[in-house]
Amino acid sequence: MAESIFWCITSGKGGVGKTCLAVNLAFALARLDKRVLLVDGDLGLANVDVLLGLEVRATVRDILDQGADPSKTVIPVHPNLGVLPASSGVPEMANLGPEDQAVLGEMLKSVAAPFDHVLVDTAAGLSQAVLWFNTLSHCSLVVVTPDPTALTDAYALIKVLARHYQHDQFQVILNSVQGEQEASKTFETLAQAARKFLNLRLDYLGSVPADPAVKKALRAQVSFLEQFPQAKASLAVKIIADRMVRLVQHLPSARAINPEVHAI
Amino acid sequence: MSPLAQPPVCPAGRDGCPVFVECQRLQEECRRLRKLSQTDPLTGLYNRRYLMMSLDQEMERTRRTGLPTSLIMLDLDHFKRLNDTYGHQFGDAVLIRVAVLLKENVRKLDVSCRYGGEEFAVILPGTRLPQAVRLAERLRNVLAKSWQEPQRGKRGITASFGVETFTSRDNMTPKAFLRQADRWLYLAKAQGRNTVCHRASPQAGPETGLTPEERRIFLSREKLHDDKAEGSYG
Repeated sequence: MAESIFWCITSGKGGVGKTCLAVNLAFALARLDKRVLLVDGDLGLANVDVLLGLEVRATVRDILDQGADPSKTVIPVHPNLGVLPASSGVPEMANLGPEDQAVLGEMLKSVAAPFDHVLVDTAAGLSQAVLWFNTLSHCSLVVVTPDPTALTDAYALIKVLARHYQHDQFQVILNSVQGEQEASKTFETLAQAARKFLNLRLDYLGSVPADPAVKKALRAQVSFLEQFPQAKASLAVKIIADRMVRLVQHLPSARAINPEVHAI
Repeated sequence: MSPLAQPPVCPAGRDGCPVFVECQRLQEECRRLRKLSQTDPLTGLYNRRYLMMSLDQEMERTRRTGLPTSLIMLDLDHFKRLNDTYGHQFGDAVLIRVAVLLKENVRKLDVSCRYGGEEFAVILPGTRLPQAVRLAERLRNVLAKSWQEPQRGKRGITASFGVETFTSRDNMTPKAFLRQADRWLYLAKAQGRNTVCHRASPQAGPETGLTPEERRIFLSREKLHDDKAEGSYG
């Protein structure tokens, strides 16, 4: 069987729409007939389950602490889509020690085996867990808004990953933009900084326009793609999912799934 | 042997069994030889062989637990001159004195070794760089204050220090780790001796965080434009 592709959805700054984007990209990929596993990588303050109104019985934490069966922890939400939930309100989970990293890495590898794509939704910030999930994945999907603070934080995250962990696969997604022009302008700023200071190429994966349908779906705890398939945001996400599928063959394959990451 | 262990007995239950007596003698001999092979005869500190073994072990522990291991290398300043002036017996006495000071001033889990000649090494398990540097500074102080050369008014015995830390994201052999600490030691010598050098010394700048130049690029365009218009930019 082909190797599962790990995508890490990440941003540096919180509140730029990572989780929402992760959920909808997962649905979009599932609709393209890919088997998708969505992993809640915000181990301390999870909310993929809240976004989808899921009832969670066991989490990543139960697997690590009590050896719960990983494959039974995955909640099916669509014939092609499973969710691996994390625990909420458990601060110590945000700091993944080397032992936890090794166990979690093994566990993810085995749970991911039947899936084509694994999307990991990470927490905000530069915690060990965030860095680890990024280095573990084939490609980081960096979500930014045109907000200068979001750009700065995204750049800071990219810098740490590139400098300290030799991570070099970054695809940038512009979220809540007013039109394609604003998106490409914002991307250009980020790409230029990465090129100039880090000697690193960033790729532009796409943009999602600001759309009232997004908030409406969020309140109703459903995916906007499922609820409003014709909304602007939904169409944009479908395009991004298409590009991800086509990108697979260009990614460097078989990244070792046992990196070790420590606080800086 | 652990004090809690039962005293050994002959498995066949015989008193004064010659095989058993021989076994005990060999055990004792083995312990004595092990100690001999691990210590430096002059100072009683661990020797270089033990240093390399212990370093290997602690680095492995770092890889497993994620707790860093630090290493201090120190070399006595102008030791040769001392030896030449006052004779080798005096030099030996100084080395013994330094060993005592090391033992008295490191913590229980730290491993003090004589690396060779007038060079010493201390392994600090589970210790980050700042704490290791603090300990090195303390040792430097203690040494410098310990005593004066017999000839009054001359400088005391001092040492130069190099400190390095191994974290689990480093990929180094024990040899390379030692060489790195040694490099800082050379830098300390070059800076006039009686000092502590490490990678966070003022001469080595920090590596992470955004530089002002990087930060500036993300200021919003209007802001940049305004600054330019007011002539305060550039």
